[in-house]
Parts: sequence; structure tokens; C-alpha cells
Amino acid sequence: MEFAPTTLTAAEEELRSEVREFLAEELPPDFRPGLGMAAGHNPGFSRKLAARGWVGMAIPPQYGGHGRTAVDRFIVTEELLAAGAPLGAHFVADRQTGPALLHYGTEEQRQRFLPAISAGECWFSLGMSEPDSGSDLASVRTAATKVDGGWLINGTKIWTSGAHLNHYFAVLCRTSPNEGDRHAGLSQLIVDLSAPGVKISPIPYLDGSHHFNEVLLQDVFVPDDMVLGEVGSGWRQVTSELAYERSGPDRYLSTFNVYREMLRELADQPLDDTQTRTVGYLAARFWTIRQLSLSVARLIDARRAPAMEAAFVKDMGTVFEQESIGLLRAAADRELDPGRGSLFARLLAEAILTGPSFTLRGGTTEVLRSVAAKGLGR
Amino acid sequence: MNDERRMLVDAATSIFEDLCSPETVRAAEQSGWPGPLWSALAEAGFPWVSVPEQHGGSGGSVADACALLRVAGAFAAPVPLAETGLLAGWALSSAGLELPSGPATVGVGNRDDTLGLTGSPGSWRLSGQLHRVPWARESERIVAIAQQHGQAYVVSVKPDDTRIEPGRNLAGEPRDTVRLDGVATSDDAVAPAPDGVSTDALVLRGALARAALMSGALSRVSAITIRYTNERQQFGRPIARFQAVQQHLVKIAEQTEAAIMAVTAAAGNAVRACDFFDVAAAKIVAGEAANIASASSHQAHGAIGMTKEYELGQLSRRLWSWRDEFGRAEDWSRLLGRQVAEAGSDALWPRISTGLFSNA
Repeated sequence: MEFAPTTLTAAEEELRSEVREFLAEELPPDFRPGLGMAAGHNPGFSRKLAARGWVGMAIPPQYGGHGRTAVDRFIVTEELLAAGAPLGAHFVADRQTGPALLHYGTEEQRQRFLPAISAGECWFSLGMSEPDSGSDLASVRTAATKVDGGWLINGTKIWTSGAHLNHYFAVLCRTSPNEGDRHAGLSQLIVDLSAPGVKISPIPYLDGSHHFNEVLLQDVFVPDDMVLGEVGSGWRQVTSELAYERSGPDRYLSTFNVYREMLRELADQPLDDTQTRTVGYLAARFWTIRQLSLSVARLIDARRAPAMEAAFVKDMGTVFEQESIGLLRAAADRELDPGRGSLFARLLAEAILTGPSFTLRGGTTEVLRSVAAKGLGR
Repeated sequence: MNDERRMLVDAATSIFEDLCSPETVRAAEQSGWPGPLWSALAEAGFPWVSVPEQHGGSGGSVADACALLRVAGAFAAPVPLAETGLLAGWALSSAGLELPSGPATVGVGNRDDTLGLTGSPGSWRLSGQLHRVPWARESERIVAIAQQHGQAYVVSVKPDDTRIEPGRNLAGEPRDTVRLDGVATSDDAVAPAPDGVSTDALVLRGALARAALMSGALSRVSAITIRYTNERQQFGRPIARFQAVQQHLVKIAEQTEAAIMAVTAAAGNAVRACDFFDVAAAKIVAGEAANIASASSHQAHGAIGMTKEYELGQLSRRLWSWRDEFGRAEDWSRLLGRQVAEAGSDALWPRISTGLFSNA
């Protein structure tokens, strides 16, 4: 394990100040913060952020990106999340699809997608889960068959967040039959969510809100040049893609705004003992996990491969997010109404209603730990 | 870790490997004192790391001292390594008092402590009671803060001048009650406490020291739990192959990393003084880690972990003691909560996002 605390350089501190100033100007006084990566989907905000050079930061300049470090991207991301800023439009493309295209995409794909992603104008969803494939991703049944000039893809993807808002999704599918090695014969195809044969239906969240979709793919034509990476290397790509999304600030800041709003609400009154202890305990935990996550970004910049560290941060971060909801609820000491009450109470209600997803998205705690345990050696 | 600190840690590790086996730790619970271990540590100057050389210390930083404590914690070392330099040595040298050549300790932070200083130069007398004083009976000096007319003094007392009632923590380490009945104290053992030297400051350093020891003990708990579950076979395979056991292993390893991170950052930032936020956070996180990791490691080990013979108990009993000493996670959460609430919601994120700010 290579975790080591790290200080920010003067240039990194400067970047942080710039992002804070930008957010102070851009977010209106009555802004309602969102909860982590489920915060609002706001194309205008994403474009403005991109205009500052803060989308596609990890993408090289020749593809319209900014060639910044993982730590720089960490700083921007954590400031956005801590403010509850509406990063929903560009977030997945910035975090996940952009780097995947950079690493595995053809030159033509990089030229086509990366400048648009970096401009905050091209948004992606993830096409992994299926009705019969969740944690066991290699069992996907969505299949593409070769036709002249491309592929015909058929199948159903579910839990597809933002499919109703985004432009594309990267679909993990079978491009040759399962014959023994189940990790072989899988590919990632970039599917245009507006293409003929794509049918998107909402799957309402338990509180009725719309994040999830079912995406039905019926004889959708995907041209050859939309195969991401090599045909047949989909498994290797998505498993490393899972590593990108593991350890960032989106894995532990989902409830930060609930916490801060509680503090704001209680500013004019004496805190009771439960509230006082909750405030202190959460500060300690946020401070520590943030430094673990920042240290992973440093390791990425040092060209290490911190897969275990990233898995640890995701597991600890998401479990902590859920633990924090319980503590904030105890400190709130009231019945909650999702549509009424203070901002703190409404955010807390939202956190309670969406919290179970924190340890599911991007891989469940249980599967993550089983994978991590193999790296613990003996 | 810089090269110098790495050399320090390597040198300490080899001393502990030679002289602080689980058998030594077990024996010290009976005999009270692992003489050869202390002598070797003292010869290397390790107990006085972080105390400036011009005051008779070994030099180095608080971060160096905490790196040593991490090693000591991993070996469950039954010696007052933290108390001698980082605590007593700091108070004595800050006040311009002489460091003893042997082990030293501090009597601070217990809510029942009372210590009054009467008289004046030439006729100082100390009266009161200090509770749960670590290693008092083995120390050459007991250092405390005494009050007279609103002025705080650093005082250095010989245990022979006091009445000591032996007590122990859950790991069998000495935690004694020290009674002082008008102890005549020479002028070279009393000095006004300089700015920044107070009971609170000593408690803060003590909390950091205990968190550092805990982070080391946690590493060892993690290592032996991984080892044991890979060796122990049930149902025809190592129990580490079972997902239920793997969950324990990962949780222990994660908690260990969290504790190490918090301690390392808090120690690294303690250049001029320990930062209250950092140390409170480190003690809270290490205490929480101790709760989770000790429970998980015992569950993964089964009955063997409950024996005196097996090493785990030496570590878990220390975790259960150290998490309470110099303030429990609950106490620090309350104190930190007050400070954070007072600073207000706008200061919250800037503080949380201030991690390691010193590269010392």
C-alpha cells in the first residue's frame, strides 16, 4: 500500500482559489446544492466550466483537452462536489469515457469525441448492467453481430443513469459467442442514444425521481468506427475503466452538503451533545478520507497503478457516506418531509432516499472487497 | 517518508525485532520492565527524538518521533517511548529544566487530577494526586503542570518522593496513581510554563502519540490476520478464501490505512505546535479504526485470538487501552465539534480540504 499524505503546490493552491472564485460567481445565492454526482444536469454550467479549462483536464491539448495532472483534476472535482455544483452533464464523460477514449480509442475517435467532451458539449452514459447482469458483468447478453460496415446490436441495458439526457453511451456487449473464456469476445461499442432502434424508458427511483433508464437496443446499427478500442478487448477495458471511477471525491462527498447545511442551520443556536459530536466526528472522517483520495491522484501522476488504493478509497468512502446519513439523521432529530422544511432537512431526506445507491454504483461493496482481498497477499 | 526518517525507522525496527518479541511483551507484563529493550532504545537515543539536541535530546521532529511510535506500536512495546521524549522531554526542555537520563512520564489530563504548588524558590512544595500516570513506577521523573496564583509551572518530580499506587491498563501496562503530600521540590525542578506549554498541549501531544502507537498496532493486526487466515484451513481450504472472511481482511486493512494517513498528516503538520484539528481528527480516526479492526481481527481468528499465547491479544488489548487514553474518540469528537461549529459553515470545507500543509 502506497498511501502517503501530500501537500498541494503553490500552483495547485492557486487553481483551487480560481475554482472557488468561479463557483462563488456562477452559483446564485439561492442555489440548492446537489448531492455529489447526482447533482443537477446543467449544460450551460458545464460549458462555462469547460471555457475555464476545467473539463477534459486530463486530456492532452492536441485533442482539445488541457494536459493537466490527476491532482489538478482532483482539485476541480472536489471543489465542484463540495459546492454541490450541477456537474451532471459532463461528469461521466470527463471522469470515465474521455480517459477510456484516450487510452483505447482510435485516432479518429479521439479527434471526434475528445474536443467535444473537453468543451463540455458531449455527454456520456455507461452501458454496463443488464437485467441478468449486475455484479457479474462478464455475463452480459447484449450482442452485436457483424454486418457490412459495422455491427447490429440487440439487447437491453438497465440502470442507465442520464440516458434520457446524454448523447452517447459506451455499451459492453458480446461480439463473439461465449466459448469457454467468458472474458473473451466482449467489446465496447459507442452507441448514439438518438440512433434508430434505441428506445429509452425511465425506471423511476424509489422516490419517483428520474435518474435510471432502461435502454432497449433493437437492431441498432453501429458503424465500425464506433467500436471503442479493439474488438474483443472489452473486458480488459471496462475493468480498468472501473478503476478510474473508484477513488475520486465523488466517492465520499455525496453527503457533504447535508453536513454543511446542518452546520449553517444550527449556527444561531447551541448544539446539543449529539450534534456537537456528529459535527466533530464527520470533520475528522472527511479530512482523512480526502487525504487518502488525494494521495491516489498523486500516485496516478507518478505513473503508479494504485488499483488497491483506489478500491480501498471507494469502499471506505461510500460506506462512510452512508454512515454519515445515519449520524446526520440522529442529529437532525425530526421527522422529514421531502418537499418541506429547511434546506438541511430536504437534503437529508434526499440523502436517505438515494443513499443505498452509494455502495452499489460502480460496483457493490461486497464484490469490491472480494476483489481487493485478493490483492492483500499473505 | 524521507531518507533520514526511513533510516531511523529501520534502525528501530531491528532493535524491536531483536528485543521485543511477543514473549518479551508477555514477560514484561509479569516483571514490569523489559530492561534490555529500554537500554538498547536509550543507547540509540530513540526516547528523546523530537527533543532538541541543545536541551539534551536527540533532535528530529514530532513526525520522526511519531514514525518511531508506529514501529513501537506494531511490536506492542512495553516501554514509555512516547512519554519520555515527546511528552515529558518536550515540557522539560521547553521550560529549561533538565532531562533525566532514564525514562520519564507525565501526569496530565485525568479529570480527577489535582496538583498545587506552594512556596517560592528555595521552598517549593507540591501537593495533590495524579491519576493513570503511565509507567510512573518505572520512571526517573514524573512531569506535570502545577498551578500557583494563576501561573502554570512545569514541575519535575522524583517518584521516590511520592506515594505510588500501582494500576494497569487493559494491556497490563502501568497506569499508576501518584500522591504528593507536600513534596519538597528543588528549584531546578520547577519553572514557569512558557507560552504553549500547558496541560491541554500535553494532552494533545499525548493523543497524537497514542494515535501513532495505534496506527502501528493496527498494521500488525492486519498483517497477522492476513497471515493466519491464509494458513488456517477449514472446509478444505484457507479461510481467507471465504468471502465473509475477506470482508474482515479488507475492513481491517482499510481502517489501518486511514489511521496511518491521519496520524502521518497530523504529525507532519506539528512543526511548531500540534494542530488541534489534526490531532483530534487523528485520535478520532485511530480510535474508530481500533474498534473496527480489533472486532474484525478477533472474529477472523476465532478462539486462538482469545489466548494469552497468541500475539493478537497483546495488540488488541493495547488498542482497547490506547483508544481511551488522552481522550476517547467521543471526547475528541465533542471538542472538535465545538471548534468546527464555532468556525461556522463557511469555514468547514476550507478546513476539511486542508490536509498536509507542511513538508517537514
